[in-house]
Amino acid sequence: MAGIEDLGVGIGWRPEIDLTVERLPGVDFVEVVAENLHIGHLPESVALLLERGVPVLPHAVSLSLGGADEVDLHRVEHLGAVAEAVGAPMVSDHVCFVRAGGLDSGHLMPVPRTRDALDVLVANVKLAQANLPVPLALENVAALLEWPDGELSEGQFLAELVERTDCWLLVDVANLYANARNIGTDPERFLDEIPLERLAYVHVAGGEQHGDIYHDTHAHAVLPEVLEVLDELCSRVSPPGVLLERDDNYPSDAEIEAELAAIRAVVDKHRG
Amino acid sequence: MVTPTTSRATVLSPEEIGFLTAGPGRAAETALARLLDAGVVRVARDGRVSPVHQSGGGVTVVETRMLGRLTKPVQFGQVVQASANSLEMRVLQQGLRERKLIRNPRPRMRLWWIFLVIGSFLGLAALTEPTLLVGTAALFGASWWSFGARPVTRAGRAALEGVTGDDRVLTVALHGFRGRVGGRNVGDLFELPQSVVNTVPRKNRKRTDNDGAGYGSCGSGCGSSSCGSSGCSSGSSSCGGGGCGGGGGGD
Amino acid sequence: MNENEVLAARERLAARQAELLNALLANGPAPAGFDEQRLAVERRALLSKRRGIVRMLGPAVADELGERFRPLFDAYAVEHPRRAGSRAREDAASFAEWCRAAGELSAKRKARWKFWQSN
Repeated sequence: MAGIEDLGVGIGWRPEIDLTVERLPGVDFVEVVAENLHIGHLPESVALLLERGVPVLPHAVSLSLGGADEVDLHRVEHLGAVAEAVGAPMVSDHVCFVRAGGLDSGHLMPVPRTRDALDVLVANVKLAQANLPVPLALENVAALLEWPDGELSEGQFLAELVERTDCWLLVDVANLYANARNIGTDPERFLDEIPLERLAYVHVAGGEQHGDIYHDTHAHAVLPEVLEVLDELCSRVSPPGVLLERDDNYPSDAEIEAELAAIRAVVDKHRG
Repeated sequence: MVTPTTSRATVLSPEEIGFLTAGPGRAAETALARLLDAGVVRVARDGRVSPVHQSGGGVTVVETRMLGRLTKPVQFGQVVQASANSLEMRVLQQGLRERKLIRNPRPRMRLWWIFLVIGSFLGLAALTEPTLLVGTAALFGASWWSFGARPVTRAGRAALEGVTGDDRVLTVALHGFRGRVGGRNVGDLFELPQSVVNTVPRKNRKRTDNDGAGYGSCGSGCGSSSCGSSGCSSGSSSCGGGGCGGGGGGD
Repeated sequence: MNENEVLAARERLAARQAELLNALLANGPAPAGFDEQRLAVERRALLSKRRGIVRMLGPAVADELGERFRPLFDAYAVEHPRRAGSRAREDAASFAEWCRAAGELSAKRKARWKFWQSN
């Protein structure tokens, strides 16, 4: 695969806002949470979008690729089956772990940025890739805490991951902003370090500041500061796609439309 | 926003128009239509109604109560049904009664005409025995009583005269979400899939004020399923139910 | 890199990740090197997310418990961290069961119906 096709501006499809997603202008592609889809039983709305020719990209949240255990091939298989069911050009999950020691965190936990963690991640990603029918993109997560003794910066960590696995990157600029606020990641350095030619697409999401912590809630409006990170990214590379994620407290159609328009304005500014 | 409609001297809100047209179920449909029209709630394909975040409140007490119950998504038909059975709806009904637009309905007895027949015979007999006229009158009275009474009074029907479906909320008041106007489904005016519209109990639609019994009301019997096929799926993912967002402010 | 090296890395990583989740989900001791305050923030965030999901999946239970829902859930959650491979729906059911056993919730009921009608 030479590069990902141009996706445009999209939104995360969620059952609660399915009719909104269907009627909003300017939705060039959508993403579905792979774990919530059942093969052979696609939601009517997703089928309708596919019929219209809207690309549908499966996004997974449970592979736990950064976990110490070997990746669960049943989950990989399901992701691959969803990709085939919707004819997706690519699938994605996160650079994170969700299970360890027999417990499930219920959330995307950051991995330590150590050689050990990278070696395990690379092994898991390679195994997943070998069992997937389409390329895999991996997303940077938002962290509330920092592992001690990190040996690499987040950008270096992802760059080496790409180099060793040939995976694609899904850059979440809201997570990047969250990490800048919460654990002092430098977004510019991050963007300098990652191989931007392997950028699949970009996530944008809303959140809220709570005391000195920024929470990546996906349930609040997108902050202008997050769009600034997108702007910074777009000044370096024209992203093949940018997707808005909203998972709760869904606002009016008009507000969602305005957020998509704001994203498009940032992308278009750099396209000239 | 819908302004109250004036018909002669009687000012009716859309909910009241719905109530007079087809009873509490229709009034509830009208309230839901108004909330949809104002963008205060949204509906998904699986029929679940959810509040739009920070989009304002209801205007009427029926609407406010309807919204207050939507802390979690609820099936379209159930929203209508619960509102139809709510205390707020009884208050609306009481208001209409006080304005003499509706009254306590009496069901028509199946054998109401028996009284009329016997009364007529008695009337003939009264030609020779005038004291029987008392019985004749009593039987005619019983016949009138057992014929039943429509809940909407003459004044109520007069108030509805001239009300037209000028906007989509009034169209729901007059025809219900399940109705058809000019070859179009009323639900289409709100871009609602027919599968969602069909969760509204059918009883609400039938029986306009022309068929004797008057508006139908929705008792506990006309429920729809409490959970759509995809409505209750939890998602098996570790981040179940949602996507990858964080836990919020930790409170 | 060879298989044995990866296996050894897996073991070392497993211990560290398990220690962190145990601290965050099951009130285990704080792993060395972490900021205690951040551990507390993360613990609250994970608990809040889990609580929100259980509330969404079992609105009837949350409704019946009212203001008791939060403290009860938080107590339940520490006692019963989610096991790997369990489903969110099982978590909601197990919480309801736990509440019933503790006498905090009336006997079995039709979940959604009751939630709606009790209002």
